[in-house]
Amino acid sequence: MQRLRQLFSDTLFKRLMLLMWVALVASHFLSFAAVRSLADGLGDAPPMRRPAPGPDGVGVPPLASLPPGLLPDGAGRREPPPGMAGPGGRPPRDRQPGGSPPMRSLWLDYLVRFLVIGGAAWWGAQWLSQPMRRLADASRSLGAAIAQRRPAPTLDEHEGTREVRQAAQVFNAMAQRLHEQFDAQGLLMAAISHDLRTPLARLRLRLETMAPGPQTERGIADLQEMDALIGSVLSMVRDRHAPQAQQRVDLRALLQAQVDDRVEQGLPVRIADDSAGEAVVLAQPEALGRILGNLIGNALRHAGSAELSLLGQTGKLELRIDDHGPGIPQEQLETVFRPFYRVNSGVDGRGSSTSGGSGLGLYIARDLAEQVGGELTLSNRPEGGLRARLVLPRA
Amino acid sequence: MIHALLVDDDLDLRQLVSDYLQRYGMRVTAVADAASLRRVLRVGLTGPDPFKVLLLDLMLPDGNGLDLLRWVREIAPLPVIMLTAQGDPASRVVGLELGADDYLPKPFEPRELVARIHAVLRRAGAAPVAAPTATVLQFAGWTFDRLRRQLTSPQQVVVALSSAEFRLLSAFVDHPNRVLSRDQLLDLTRAPGADVTDRSIDLTVSRLRQKLDAPNLIRTVRGEGYLFDPNDGGARA
Repeated sequence: MQRLRQLFSDTLFKRLMLLMWVALVASHFLSFAAVRSLADGLGDAPPMRRPAPGPDGVGVPPLASLPPGLLPDGAGRREPPPGMAGPGGRPPRDRQPGGSPPMRSLWLDYLVRFLVIGGAAWWGAQWLSQPMRRLADASRSLGAAIAQRRPAPTLDEHEGTREVRQAAQVFNAMAQRLHEQFDAQGLLMAAISHDLRTPLARLRLRLETMAPGPQTERGIADLQEMDALIGSVLSMVRDRHAPQAQQRVDLRALLQAQVDDRVEQGLPVRIADDSAGEAVVLAQPEALGRILGNLIGNALRHAGSAELSLLGQTGKLELRIDDHGPGIPQEQLETVFRPFYRVNSGVDGRGSSTSGGSGLGLYIARDLAEQVGGELTLSNRPEGGLRARLVLPRA
Repeated sequence: MIHALLVDDDLDLRQLVSDYLQRYGMRVTAVADAASLRRVLRVGLTGPDPFKVLLLDLMLPDGNGLDLLRWVREIAPLPVIMLTAQGDPASRVVGLELGADDYLPKPFEPRELVARIHAVLRRAGAAPVAAPTATVLQFAGWTFDRLRRQLTSPQQVVVALSSAEFRLLSAFVDHPNRVLSRDQLLDLTRAPGADVTDRSIDLTVSRLRQKLDAPNLIRTVRGEGYLFDPNDGGARA
């Protein structure tokens, strides 16, 4: 019973085999029939029987070169098929007046085969590739779903060929596990971060009881750095687990506000170029603010200043944050987006502990950028310094 | 002598905060949980040395800090400063909406705590029964959410404000239809770490006008200062 089910199960292998078989047989018979009806004129065509290859595949699989007349179904008729008749050969029924029936028959034969095989191949390719496409689509949207904190997509495990059903099961299990892992990780991070803040508060007050001096000052700075790291982890977890609603946001006003806040603190941040026209994007306002804050903070930390530009493209807005710092070695431009990754560039030590920064800034910025459908990349400017590019779709 | 009531479940922290505030001439009564707070607060509001300020941890073992805050708000006009390790913008907004006077995330700068205590007491003394200012204001089609620090245009586009613009707009919406001199605006928009000058006020006003896209909303009164007219903003063609 099990073996029988296996025999009749829907597999890609059987789909392909059956498809080619039916297509070729059908093309032979249809062209044969077409030529016969042309040759015989109305009412003279013999009754046609369409072969129906059963699931067990009765008969010999037809080869493209095999004339239909030699097929088991047409066993009664041994005449050479019109398609095989050469231009010089005697046509089977040359009763039609005028024209060149053999040539016409030949062309008709080819045309019908061409169309039938073409049509069958097109339809069959769709039929075969559709499950694969569904799998590919689901995989693609899985990444986006995780990035945008939506439930992971699931595939139908009971439809399609066996290979496809198996792939769907594996895919669903994987998506589920990713989702769970993601939740557990978030809770853990939040709990750790939260429970660190009370001891930090105690420590801060204890430092206050000590004699003021350089060591105490440094202790306070260390503490603030830790708190900043906890803050960024918490905000990351929060953004992932309880994302804000998307709103239409004026990107220019946001840019201006961020720059003005820095300027008020006496920091050298300025807007170098603004040629974007109306600059409205669809995003979570706080997330967008954090992306910008992280990128500007990075530039300030590593280069001491930042220049921002807002440029318009069709359907997109490009935000550039340029600095005049040492840049990042070319081969590390992508790896710096990993959490806690520090660039090793010899003496400079971009991102080393003395220059502050949590090691999460870029990671969070890219994560948030993906959440709002944007793209964040880094490059070294030819004139020196680093350029961060944030490309967002216009709302 | 300022008498503060501190609610926090961490014993060491209670001790440390008490000791620290004593150095600034404050007396601190510290309790560990919501039940003790309810007990102490009932008797501690009257008598010779009533509580002047409540320092409330949002996360208590026996009760939600926010529920507790609501309860305190109902029984006493006591200024409340929330202390919390959550440090999350949402809980800050909820706490302030429920009527906390200030919000300080842990770990806080000790001196900042002292400054905030003095600030809420000053405010409480200045306007003892002032109705709480609305947190979400509307004018000329704009929505200004002060807790979320968010300004939304008539076209439902979020327009971010810098801190200076936020402080200035807050001062304006608190004093609508009144001419505010630059000196008054300097007073109203002063902030720690920010260098506010006449010049920066003028600059911020022009930025705000640009963002609000309504020149008549904030009018220049020659020789006197600026006037915020929430009803006239739509007058432009």
